[in-house]
Amino acid sequence: MITVNGDPLDWHPGMTVQDVLDAKSYTFRMIGVWVNDKPVPKGEFGTFVIPDSAVVQAIHMVSGG
Amino acid sequence: MDKMKVLAEWSYTPTKIDKGYTRKTLYVNVGEPRMEIRDVTQDMIDKFTGGRGFDLKLLWDAVKDTTKWNDPENEIVLSGGPLCGITQYPGTGKCYAAFISPLSGQTYDSNSGGYWGPLTKFSGFDAIEIQGKSEKEIIIFINGDDGKIQILESNQPDINAYTITENLHEYFATSEADKRSISVVSAGKGAETSYFGCMNMSFYDPRRKVTRLKQAGRGGGGSIMRDKKIAAMVVKYSKMTGNENNVVDLDTLQKVGVKLHKEIHDLDDSQCKMRKIGTAHLNEIMDEYHLLPVNNYKFGQNSAEIAKIHSSEYEKLFTQGLPDGCWYGCSMACAKAVDGFTIQTGPCKGEKVTVDGPEYETVASLGSNVGVFDPLWTIEANFYADHYGVDTISLGTTLAFVCECFELGLINKTDTNDLELRFGNKKDIMELIHRMAVGTDEFAAIVAKGIRYIKKAFAEKYNSDAKTMEAIGMEGQGVETSEYVPKESIAQWGGYYLTLKGPQHDEAWLIFMDMVNKQLPTYEDKAEALHYFPNFRTWFSLVGLCKLPWNDVEPANNRIVNPPKEAAKVPEHVQNYVDIFNAVTGKAIKKEDLVTMSEKVYNFQRVFQVRMKQGNAFHNIPLRALGPVFADEWDARKDYYDGKLKEIGVEPAGLSTEAKIQKLQEYRLGMWEGLKTAVYKRRGWNKKGIPTVETLKRLGIDYPEVVAVVEKYSKPEDVIA
Amino acid sequence: MRWLKTYAEKCINCGKCMEVCSKTYFKEENPALSRVVITDPGAGRNISVCNQCGACMAVCPTEALYRDKNGVVQLDKSKCTSCLMCVGYCPTANMLYAATKQTEPFKCVACGLCAKVCPTQALVLVND
Repeated sequence: MITVNGDPLDWHPGMTVQDVLDAKSYTFRMIGVWVNDKPVPKGEFGTFVIPDSAVVQAIHMVSGG
Repeated sequence: MDKMKVLAEWSYTPTKIDKGYTRKTLYVNVGEPRMEIRDVTQDMIDKFTGGRGFDLKLLWDAVKDTTKWNDPENEIVLSGGPLCGITQYPGTGKCYAAFISPLSGQTYDSNSGGYWGPLTKFSGFDAIEIQGKSEKEIIIFINGDDGKIQILESNQPDINAYTITENLHEYFATSEADKRSISVVSAGKGAETSYFGCMNMSFYDPRRKVTRLKQAGRGGGGSIMRDKKIAAMVVKYSKMTGNENNVVDLDTLQKVGVKLHKEIHDLDDSQCKMRKIGTAHLNEIMDEYHLLPVNNYKFGQNSAEIAKIHSSEYEKLFTQGLPDGCWYGCSMACAKAVDGFTIQTGPCKGEKVTVDGPEYETVASLGSNVGVFDPLWTIEANFYADHYGVDTISLGTTLAFVCECFELGLINKTDTNDLELRFGNKKDIMELIHRMAVGTDEFAAIVAKGIRYIKKAFAEKYNSDAKTMEAIGMEGQGVETSEYVPKESIAQWGGYYLTLKGPQHDEAWLIFMDMVNKQLPTYEDKAEALHYFPNFRTWFSLVGLCKLPWNDVEPANNRIVNPPKEAAKVPEHVQNYVDIFNAVTGKAIKKEDLVTMSEKVYNFQRVFQVRMKQGNAFHNIPLRALGPVFADEWDARKDYYDGKLKEIGVEPAGLSTEAKIQKLQEYRLGMWEGLKTAVYKRRGWNKKGIPTVETLKRLGIDYPEVVAVVEKYSKPEDVIA
Repeated sequence: MRWLKTYAEKCINCGKCMEVCSKTYFKEENPALSRVVITDPGAGRNISVCNQCGACMAVCPTEALYRDKNGVVQLDKSKCTSCLMCVGYCPTANMLYAATKQTEPFKCVACGLCAKVCPTQALVLVND
């Protein structure tokens, strides 16, 4: 189990940042991801493997319309 | 074209700009007529900065406590601000307008791109006040080349925006190349009937060889123009150089600007795609997150239809590859246009035109919110809204409300003069827009006055149920809500309905930060965001900037070098603003000063609202903004809403949907009150939302007449402990 | 099209091209004001100068940048608003600016003076 923006999400071995975004339907292009408070570069979303019990923040960047 | 008759004329010596200011304002009374050039004091610069700050200060001095929108003393005040007109940084051509609004009866400020702001400043004025009422149809002409102000008797047979703008660029230009030296402010026939008339501000597009229109759309400025019988305002200035603002440090300005040009060049395609699609890049994103208003904000999503209005559809319709900035130097280039569009209905039927937009707001307002998922219809509605001089947002939100009233049986075909106003009925909705511009149809004339007026008029004339209309009419302070579904973000209730002037998205857009990112868990967190963002964004309006280049592109390392909450503020871009402000003005502000500069004006404007409302400047929120009102809204996200009840300790099983809705509404109304108190407290206001004298003192805006308003309406029991 | 072809491997970094360029257009011997820029990063010499590709023309809001009859991209200063978008959008970073000299940007106009003074033919003005 991991948390994503405070909500629990089932974890599986090999789970990547992109898997998490897909699971949450986070399709926005301007997302910043921090795993256990460490930023993950956008280019590594597909390869960065998330450990079990991780605290994931998937921050949607837009602040204004 | 025949020469227009000069009704009044004055000569003046244009003052050159120094460090961003001319320190002169122009006052024109179109009734008497009279002209005056007034000095800007150092105190006015220190406290109000410029732009919207100057507008409000001048408006405060011009109106009485009892002034109504259509009284002669109401003014349209227009000002660019000290950074307005520089060309070296994206988004620096904005003009801010303020006036007493027909929709809300208090001040409204609205902004526009186009060349009006820069060219009037280059002509010698930090701000322009238009007061009085003319008897004849007039055109105001500010000739910055020759130092002349003229009031001309209009000879324009058609005052609708696209036509009059094109004609006046032609009339006042000496050559094709000279058309770029002109900007026209116009409204249109719809603005005469409506309370949400917009002001179209033009610029000439040398590649397309057409005039383009940007809008100070919101709040009803165009209605005031028409009430004063102003067909158009024109400025001409043809001697522009690359440093009209006579800045202190051109080197820094150039370096910071080039850095952002490169950033947009490198990153826009993978970020917001502003250069290709403008703000319409948001269409499917808002749908995905249940934020796209569908059928008067009943739903936030329409999975079956969204593909039809996907941003890729608009990308095909917008002409690609042109430098679509609404002022020189805007490499963000979001002023998209559809070229060669053939109009299908109304007075321009069959004509091939260039349509400015649509932007996201219009895609939603004159689209999904009225149940239409057809870009071609939206483009045509966008064209006519601009042409007739009505605000696309208020128009769409009002039409959405009227359609729901029709579907609920609150009004019928006899009332509508035979229009079948169902969601998605493109033909009849378009016909209603045309009728607003003709102005003879009684029903259309009511609709054109906006939701607050309609609620009363429908109840009186058609016996429509007032309580239902109160729940579903998406207005706050008399102004129609812009196009995001705020139901599920508590912070955004404040972002919309705890604002200075009504539910407009230019103060704070906190939905992702609050609802998705969960970065604002407590009332205090939300209140802090509802202090910081509205004040930070107010700063753009003081100096003459567009908000978009702040956070619709971000440096590649923004999310690497900044922790999440800071990243949302885009610190590098905030520093850019500090640097360019100092480079232009020679001051030495720091980034903390941006918010303080804004707070002065923000609180001044709040006191202004209290003054105009005689102490009753209330923040209202419709039930539809807080959550589902009807069973079908609940059922569209049944599991989600049942879950929301469980979160607050209510077991949904066994409850009727109506009972569930009531439980959630009661709970959320309580949260709204909690939010309001936390926000008022953070802003230094009392329980009635009136700034305290201490707040005025802290900000240095404790002018006797401002303190007097606060003291008159504040009661000891309203103090927040 | 007339343009300046470069042969970095022949360059001896004598600086004559930059000298003549800045002196001709800005009356000052200053490499920072030269439209042709020689850099020597150690691993290999680099000659950077406009190849007349015209990408800048597309982003210019006033059509101040245009191609003359020889195919050279020129700047009409009377139309230029000094916005420098062309600087940010130049694919080879050869649109230059210097606030102390003028508000407008500047670029190589393929005049060929640098090629004339180059002792090693590292710069050659060509028509193709």
